[in-house]
Amino acid sequence: MIKWVVIFLFVCCMALATVLDPEFRRLHNRDNSSGGALAALMGDSRLLFAHEFFAMADAYFHSGFYPTIFDRQKPGTESDLKEESHDKSEDAKDHEEETSFLGAPKDWIDRFGRHFYPTVHTHLHGGDEREMLPWLQLSADLDPQAIDAYVTASYWLRTSLNKPGEAEHFLRQGQLANPDSFEIQLELGRIYLNNYSNAFVARNILLQARQKWRKQDAAGAKPDPHTYEAILGEIVRADRALGNLKQQLADMEELLKVAHIKENLQRQIAELKAKLAEPTP
Amino acid sequence: MSSSTSWVTSRNPDANNIFAIAGVVVKEMYRRKDFYVLLVLIVLITLMLGSVSFFDDDRIVRYLKDACLLLIWLSSLVIAITTAARQIPAERESRTIYPLLAKPVGRGEFVAGKFLGCWVACGIALVGFYFFFGIMSASREHTLPFLVYFQAIWLHWMCLGIVVALVLLGSVVFAAPSSNATICFIVVLGIMFAGGHLNTLALQMRGFRGEVVYALYYAIPHLEWYDLRDFIIHNWGGSGLRLVTHNIDWLVWVGASIYAALYTGMLLGCTWLVFQRRTMTL
Repeated sequence: MIKWVVIFLFVCCMALATVLDPEFRRLHNRDNSSGGALAALMGDSRLLFAHEFFAMADAYFHSGFYPTIFDRQKPGTESDLKEESHDKSEDAKDHEEETSFLGAPKDWIDRFGRHFYPTVHTHLHGGDEREMLPWLQLSADLDPQAIDAYVTASYWLRTSLNKPGEAEHFLRQGQLANPDSFEIQLELGRIYLNNYSNAFVARNILLQARQKWRKQDAAGAKPDPHTYEAILGEIVRADRALGNLKQQLADMEELLKVAHIKENLQRQIAELKAKLAEPTP
Repeated sequence: MSSSTSWVTSRNPDANNIFAIAGVVVKEMYRRKDFYVLLVLIVLITLMLGSVSFFDDDRIVRYLKDACLLLIWLSSLVIAITTAARQIPAERESRTIYPLLAKPVGRGEFVAGKFLGCWVACGIALVGFYFFFGIMSASREHTLPFLVYFQAIWLHWMCLGIVVALVLLGSVVFAAPSSNATICFIVVLGIMFAGGHLNTLALQMRGFRGEVVYALYYAIPHLEWYDLRDFIIHNWGGSGLRLVTHNIDWLVWVGASIYAALYTGMLLGCTWLVFQRRTMTL
């Protein structure tokens, strides 16, 4: 009797396997990324973990000096890690003068306890930025739509760590999951412009970024205007590298429409116009 | 002279009793498989994580240190809590406590011996765990910030002293070792996670509730002080054997050790008081 039961169970297992196997294959291959299988296993909780891992990268960027859920942060403040990787101006990067989120010690236990965790605001430098990368990779793996993870990792890979190839590879992965992302396209353009010194390809990539931004703007998605300014700025730099003055002038005039600081740009446009007006020898 | 001699002769056996009981507890740890299993798990998980390549960069190490230290902390807490939780109930269950207390071994010596044994066993486990951590870290970073490691291990051990004392108190209060271990685990993790922030929460509350939470903040042992993982992971202690400015101040280190010793003493005193009142009948 037991023999027949065992055989029956074995047949059941085989039948179930034939049903489930195609389903699992479909899950693994969905979107051509790990998102399908992870999404099936973890559901929406993976987004929470992805966010947590990005915060972990930020904590590493500050060498452990990072607010907990109990500490209050100024409303509207963006993480330093994002700010740095968005190529903000030096003034915006001057975080180390900021008042600490810790505030004054509330009591003697608080004062004494501060000896046991980092209380100095510092940023990673000198190649140590590599320590953030595992968390950014994990964040992107768990949430392939987390564009900040791709852009931030790429920024550090192409700048401090001098690994443009790895940065490009990672961005290409991000592009597969986010084909409409102008941020990833901008970062890719920067790699070709700054690291590969291939202004021609860089310009084409940046033009695609501009197109994607405009498409989203036309659709009413309210894309980030600062990124648009950055895209146009990089296009002008690519024009300059290619030596195409007429194109550069046209792109600079377009940039002037959205630029926050116009004086310097207006002066450059005037200089360029004067240069173009000069008779060619 | 004679009174002094009698004092010495009456103290020596006490210490011997304590050491004898402690020795049995340490030997028990050797025999049980908990430590070996946890050490193998730490090694396996760390090696598995270490084999993962991120962006073809083999110098990335902090995530590995982070994971390894987290495992060490969890494992050490498991060893401390499970070892301490079963000591007194196991002696009662197997009825070995009756001949032991009839030897004569005082109840205070019994509690002290059990505590010392568990604490030393935790210390031995810690040395094993941190030895592996040191090898792993040094092989990747090519440095060994010895002083910070020493401070971290010591404070970790002091923290486990408080935990062991707390669990021993729990083992004379709660009926079953499983419930004691579970409650102590929750309490210890709760203190480590939120203990240092109770003052912030208390200030956000108003009236009596806030005062109660603030009182609780002062009353609990601040175990979170003894967690120096951030210092080790992010190399705040610098590298090599040199003293650097961000090393923990030695006075602070001594202060934390005294705080832990006082708390441990207080908890052991409470354990002894409760244990004294327990009737031991066959």
